Amino acid sequence: MTKIAIAEPSTMLRIGLEQLLRELPDAEVVFSTDNLGALYARINALHPDILIVNPLLFDYAKRSTLRAEFDQLPNLRLVGLVTAYLESQHQRQFAGIIELNDDFQRIKSTLNQVSNNFQSDSDEPDTDPLSDREKDVLVCLSKGLKNNEIADELNISVHTVITHRKNIVRKTGIKSVAALTVYAILNNLIEEKDII
Amino acid sequence: MSSTPNTPPHLSPKMKMADAINQYHSLLTVLPRLGFPLGFGEKSVEQLCEEHRVSLPLFTLIVRVYCLEDYFPTASELQQCRMADILQYLVSSHKDYLENKLPHIEHHLNKLLEPMDRKYSTLITNFYAEFRKEMEKHFQYEEEVIFPYLRQILSEQEATESATYQKNAFHQQHDDIEDTLNDLTNLLLKYIPAEISPVERVDMLLDMYALSNDIAKHAMMENRILVPYIQLLESKRHD
Repeated sequence: MTKIAIAEPSTMLRIGLEQLLRELPDAEVVFSTDNLGALYARINALHPDILIVNPLLFDYAKRSTLRAEFDQLPNLRLVGLVTAYLESQHQRQFAGIIELNDDFQRIKSTLNQVSNNFQSDSDEPDTDPLSDREKDVLVCLSKGLKNNEIADELNISVHTVITHRKNIVRKTGIKSVAALTVYAILNNLIEEKDII
Repeated sequence: MSSTPNTPPHLSPKMKMADAINQYHSLLTVLPRLGFPLGFGEKSVEQLCEEHRVSLPLFTLIVRVYCLEDYFPTASELQQCRMADILQYLVSSHKDYLENKLPHIEHHLNKLLEPMDRKYSTLITNFYAEFRKEMEKHFQYEEEVIFPYLRQILSEQEATESATYQKNAFHQQHDDIEDTLNDLTNLLLKYIPAEISPVERVDMLLDMYALSNDIAKHAMMENRILVPYIQLLESKRHD
């Protein structure tokens, strides 16, 4: 499910867009607002994937560094909701642009394009047990090895180690290395004496 | 009273406290922190607030945070509350976690792990002990660094750069605490052998879900009430 937030000063536009987006099956509008104060407060609490924002909400001087306003949210994608002429250097801040005259089809395809990159993390529940390779990575983690050390030990790339780690967390629902170590010992993947 | 987006359905100051609790059980944890004893008979929310000198706007704010998933206060709702009252509520929540909620969980955890091989059960009790330390440290940081700082900017009415930094610090720590509690819950739910204390384990898990829900609301009080409040004060100062 893609989480979308809307920041648009016009009430009509904001509520209209929110209504439209409700029809998207794999997206959810987590909040919408007409002012910057509420935007900053909510965006930090609700972590949307996409922010559809009208650049007019920001002072002119800020419009060219808009992305920097959301530095602490590196995964957030910005989509510009453009209701007036927007200079091209300002447009470049956005991963996609929605214009006032876009029809629903067009809006959908813009949002799909923008969210494509994180569609690969599927929302389907994963009922497979850990694979042998994932168990190997888990054992290394429990021994206190870092990603690059695990990569060396198992002869795989650091990128692959990270993918295995993501899968381990997704399958077990356990995030911390400390709790994963308990998991590894409970499942006899590792002896207690092996951990540091 | 009709249900608007910012009001939980069927909840008003004139309502009987008992009816409110029957409808929203999770509010039960809030009462002792505000100094409301049980056994209030037929008294209304409003009457009890007056009797125990609890600010009605604060109580209403807390109720909204607990009962509405998506609640964000408006500026006027915030302004009706005193920052000092909010801080006092947060501090007494910390006290409640450390003096009541955690010892309760700890007691049950030790009991349910009794039939387990010590080699394994110590792993879990150690993990729990780390969780507890993390929570204590977090509360201590808030009470000794953040809250006094807020009281100071309240009285001096001056903002500095470090205010921004500390506001962001709230977030990460809450996420960490919720993650650790979630890890512990999953270990108990999924990976401890079926024959270990089946009955106690269900009770324990229910307690943990309740605690987890309560901590999430506590984090909302800080992220959605305290932080916007500070921003409000700052924006006023700039006018």
